[in-house]
Amino acid sequence: MSSDSQFCHEKGLAFLEARSLTKTYQVGSSAVHALQSVNFTAMQGDFVVINGPSGSGKTTFLNLISAIDRPTQGEVLIQGVSTNTLSERQLAQLRKDKIGLIFQSFNLIPVLSAAENAEYPLLLQRLPKTERAQRVQAILSEVGLADLGKRRPNELSGGQRQRIAIARALITRPKLVLADEPTANLDSETGAQVMDLMRRLNEEHCVVLLVVTHDPEVARYARRQVRIRDGRLMEGEGS
Amino acid sequence: MTWWIPLRSLLRNRRRTILSVAIIALGTAISLFVYGFLENSKLQIQATTVKEYGNLQIASPQLWDDTADGYEYLISPETEAQVLGLLAEHRGITGVTSQLQFPGLLAAGKLTQVVRITAQVPGNETLNIDDLVIDGRPLQPADVAAVLIGRSLANRLALKVDDVVTLTLTTVDGAYNATPLRIVGIYRFTSEQVELRSLFIPQAFAQILLNTTGIDRIIVNLTSIGATDSSTAIIQRQLDEAGLSLKVKTWNELSPFYKQLAGFFDILFGFLTLAVFVLVFFIILQVLTLAFLERTREIGTIRALGTTRGEVLGQLLLESAWLALLGSLTGVAIGLLFGTGFNALGIEWQPPGTVEASVLAVQVTFLTALPPFGVSVMATLLSAIFPAIQTSRLRVVDALRVE
Repeated sequence: MSSDSQFCHEKGLAFLEARSLTKTYQVGSSAVHALQSVNFTAMQGDFVVINGPSGSGKTTFLNLISAIDRPTQGEVLIQGVSTNTLSERQLAQLRKDKIGLIFQSFNLIPVLSAAENAEYPLLLQRLPKTERAQRVQAILSEVGLADLGKRRPNELSGGQRQRIAIARALITRPKLVLADEPTANLDSETGAQVMDLMRRLNEEHCVVLLVVTHDPEVARYARRQVRIRDGRLMEGEGS
Repeated sequence: MTWWIPLRSLLRNRRRTILSVAIIALGTAISLFVYGFLENSKLQIQATTVKEYGNLQIASPQLWDDTADGYEYLISPETEAQVLGLLAEHRGITGVTSQLQFPGLLAAGKLTQVVRITAQVPGNETLNIDDLVIDGRPLQPADVAAVLIGRSLANRLALKVDDVVTLTLTTVDGAYNATPLRIVGIYRFTSEQVELRSLFIPQAFAQILLNTTGIDRIIVNLTSIGATDSSTAIIQRQLDEAGLSLKVKTWNELSPFYKQLAGFFDILFGFLTLAVFVLVFFIILQVLTLAFLERTREIGTIRALGTTRGEVLGQLLLESAWLALLGSLTGVAIGLLFGTGFNALGIEWQPPGTVEASVLAVQVTFLTALPPFGVSVMATLLSAIFPAIQTSRLRVVDALRVE
């Protein structure tokens, strides 16, 4: 973690920037504006909660930031590089190396064990087996599941699955972690444990953590909150 | 990326995987069984044809082209000696003999039969039919007016060993000739037509009857059927270099029946292969399309984690390769086992136009397993291409929305 801690000293540098980000869907003959000219900046080490009602554009925003969707207008810059200029292959490379994703429904691969799910991004990076094994062991210990590595996702509780998903998101030591409703499928106690873990990891790994939620409990954990309503972003609301 | 993730993915829905493996295996096993049966039939016919014609025959082009006027095609004793000298240099020859064939009319009492007489060198083991004699004895070097007749001819003309028949023929000069012949033996053959029309008499006596010293062909047996084409080329070159106007023909050129049958078998196997290919292709296409569709969200997830389209495509194709391998190998194993069991039953069958039943058998070797294996693997892999490409090209954001 030394390199991460060192990197965290660079707090205050803009890691992520959204400029006039707009996403419009064509539904039949009418246009639906999911995001309208959103501007947003996240600094290194930020923990930002993005809240808002269902259908407000939170997930669309996250999809554009994570480069799994392209904006209709505007751009996303990660460490100063516009994702609009990257090819499909380069976007995949960006996601693989710099972004960790945590999904509402965990999205673990059912045929892989907990440890193999956590290891998957390292397989994409083609790291040697010994290094993969060391990193998996370390991250599973960190999320408190060192003893459950051999279990399949269907043999784990919801909270345990989300911890594995967090381990998978962090194992490549990404600079940006995006979580879409990470506690939505968990009971309140487990949700609190997961959020404690995410806040700890944010502090220790010094990653930019963007959490989309409409759960006010989750919002408590963030140092910064933004709200999206009708596709428009409002800084500081609800904080 | 890794070989084991696609294998695990394949095994996630065991019932569907077992069904797919069973379909591929069934197609492979049926294909292998039929192919093995046809190959075995071909080999049996090959052996019979070589038994009838030898591996190679050397004769005048006029004989092969049927353009001779009378007996112009006969090979003189000097030319025969020259050819035998050339053949003596050639390794891979197991035996050489000469023959003289001509038409005639056989009379037994009031009954007659148009026949084709083959004049052999008694005692020469090349192309002799000694082992086919079922009554009496084979021709011997001391025999003069002796004849071997076929079982079917003996039955039709009510003849038996030691009976005397009359053979009428035309000499090389165009004169009529007739001679009594004593039946010394009765032979059997697989073909009824051969048994009815072919007679065997001593060559020296035939030359007296025809008023010639010549022969019409030299027959060569080789160590293996597989060496036929290469030996033909070498011997033909030797003959050409020696300035001899003779042409070598192979056993399969001499037997139109074999060529037709082999062609028919190839077409039959071609149709079967096509049927198995189409069956496996469309069923597996359906199965894989469904299997990949069910994993749309999972594919979206791994794409979101940074897996490229190419890597997704590679994983899905690898999955189908595992399926192809499992199904085809299972099919080969079943086909070989079933074939071995079938051979052990020793079921007999009498093909049309034959007088003896032969044992139905399946060729069960690694080589006969290869084409059916290849066809099943190819059908499975091809059936995976379309759904795999389609799945790998899904937009990540759309794939993740699928419940």
